[in-house]
Amino acid sequence: MIKNKSSMFVIIAITIYLIMPIVFTFFYSIFAEWNEVLPKGLTFRYYIQILTDLHFMESIGRTLFISILPIVLCTIVILLAMYVVIVFAPQYDKYIQVLSTIPYALQGVIIAISVLSLYADAPAPFSNRMVMLTGTYCILILPYMYQGIKNSLNTVNAPRLIEAAQMLGASRIYAFFAVIVPNILSGITVSALLSAAIIFGDFVIVNIIGGNYFETSQVYLYKAMFKSGQLTSAIGVVLFVITLLLSAGVYFIKNKKLNHGEMK
Amino acid sequence: MGYIIFEGINKYFGTNHVLKNIHLEINQGDFVTLLGSSGCGKSTLLRCLAGLETISSGRIFLDGEDITEKNPKDRNVGMIFQQYSLFPNMSAFDNIAFGLKMKKMAKDEIEERVYKAIKMVELVGKEKQVPAQLSGGQQQRVALARAIVAEPKVLLLDEPLSAIDAKLRRSLQARIREIHKELKITSIFVTHDQDEAMIMSDVIHLFNNGTIEQSDKPIDLYTAPKTPFAAGFIGHYNILTKEVFSKMIHKDFEGTYDIAIRPETIELSSIPHEVDNQAYQFIATIKDHTLHGNVLRYTLFVNDIEFKADVLFRSFKLFHHGKPVYVSIEKHNCLIL
Repeated sequence: MIKNKSSMFVIIAITIYLIMPIVFTFFYSIFAEWNEVLPKGLTFRYYIQILTDLHFMESIGRTLFISILPIVLCTIVILLAMYVVIVFAPQYDKYIQVLSTIPYALQGVIIAISVLSLYADAPAPFSNRMVMLTGTYCILILPYMYQGIKNSLNTVNAPRLIEAAQMLGASRIYAFFAVIVPNILSGITVSALLSAAIIFGDFVIVNIIGGNYFETSQVYLYKAMFKSGQLTSAIGVVLFVITLLLSAGVYFIKNKKLNHGEMK
Repeated sequence: MGYIIFEGINKYFGTNHVLKNIHLEINQGDFVTLLGSSGCGKSTLLRCLAGLETISSGRIFLDGEDITEKNPKDRNVGMIFQQYSLFPNMSAFDNIAFGLKMKKMAKDEIEERVYKAIKMVELVGKEKQVPAQLSGGQQQRVALARAIVAEPKVLLLDEPLSAIDAKLRRSLQARIREIHKELKITSIFVTHDQDEAMIMSDVIHLFNNGTIEQSDKPIDLYTAPKTPFAAGFIGHYNILTKEVFSKMIHKDFEGTYDIAIRPETIELSSIPHEVDNQAYQFIATIKDHTLHGNVLRYTLFVNDIEFKADVLFRSFKLFHHGKPVYVSIEKHNCLIL
């Protein structure tokens, strides 16, 4: 009982600690004036302002696009690489692990400047800012995506399951994508959400590579900082809610799929 | 001509010669066991037949067809693995139906066959559960149903019962035998457990270090091992050199080979027996005893030679440690290796 109470206390304390910043940001954004100790007058005009601003909506669209595209590409590339490693060449696993871990050690600003200086004068489509940004994010999220997928593959004993599927008449590639991938979907989802959070919150890379060419919500937020603190807070809250809804949506779809699989 | 023929199979893992020129024929409908200790090559041979390992040289024929180069999925071979290897996200039904779906069978036929297999492995009512909701024994029965439902030409069982507790293992052994009798699928069973091999098999191929040491019916392998390795692996034979045996029976023993004596053929008595010239009799001293269920195994010594004798545990009347006992061994039970 004592243990339960103390655990509950710790959980509540951590929850308050994590929620406080967003709650106060929200409070700051809905008061008309907050120049003294206590705020005066409620208002939603900042929310109305940003939600009716077409630029903001476009920037959200760009952020979502640039968050999802690298994750999808990275997942496909890693899954194909893992298929080759599991089925044909297990000895290459250690090299892939090393290569995938290197981006951990690189600062975002270094990757961004390196990519920009290397590809700015390259022929199309490599010099396209969106292509550069997608490639850079693929590098950035590679360690998180790789480790998540690798751990999930280890858990399901993928080589043995592929062998079992082969004995039942499936080809190796079919076995990998029809049997193994559905079993590691939760691992892929967690890695994808983590990666999406990293990309969604990034400002350094998008500002260096994208800048005015490709204005994402983070760049929009940065520009808003010079206009009004309350407007910035409102944007922060909206971005938080969007991230929350996306994460909840992904979890909902994943759980629905898993439950459907079990009930079939 | 055998239904399955291994012709001069060699297999190397790097420089390690795992299978050494294996020649083996298996008849259609037989339940055959590959018996041997870990690392002797028995599972590798099974995996070569399944197509999960390539062979370094030799040919494999199944039902008159050379399948050496064939893809595993095209060999029509069913396999059960030690770790069950069920698909975790699929129900028992979907696991069993997987192979039939790969064969693109009609939905009605899949359903009919799967339910028949579920009934056969006594899993009615469990078909909607996923592997995590099933016990180890139930999972292995799903694996069995999954392997037999598509009616493969051969059923391969790679130590399928080694992760299951003793009681359940016995019931599954019986179930597998019954299913084999019913379906008459040629089956190859791999195990390191000699008792399991004796119970299950029509023929046992005893493996030792990449070669087949002896191939025989269980009773022949047990009563007439042909090599010291076979005698040492099967049962708990006392293996003695000619000199040691002569010292033990206080007589010169003719011949140049080793002698193998099964512990249960050695008779112990506190009073001397009347023996004819068809048996050896001598006095030995009890050193120790261990209980093996219904059998008491005595360790005795005579002239510093230690040997074992089994006595059926019918009463608590034990031979006492340090006391002399009369030992008699029928001559025909002394096998010359």
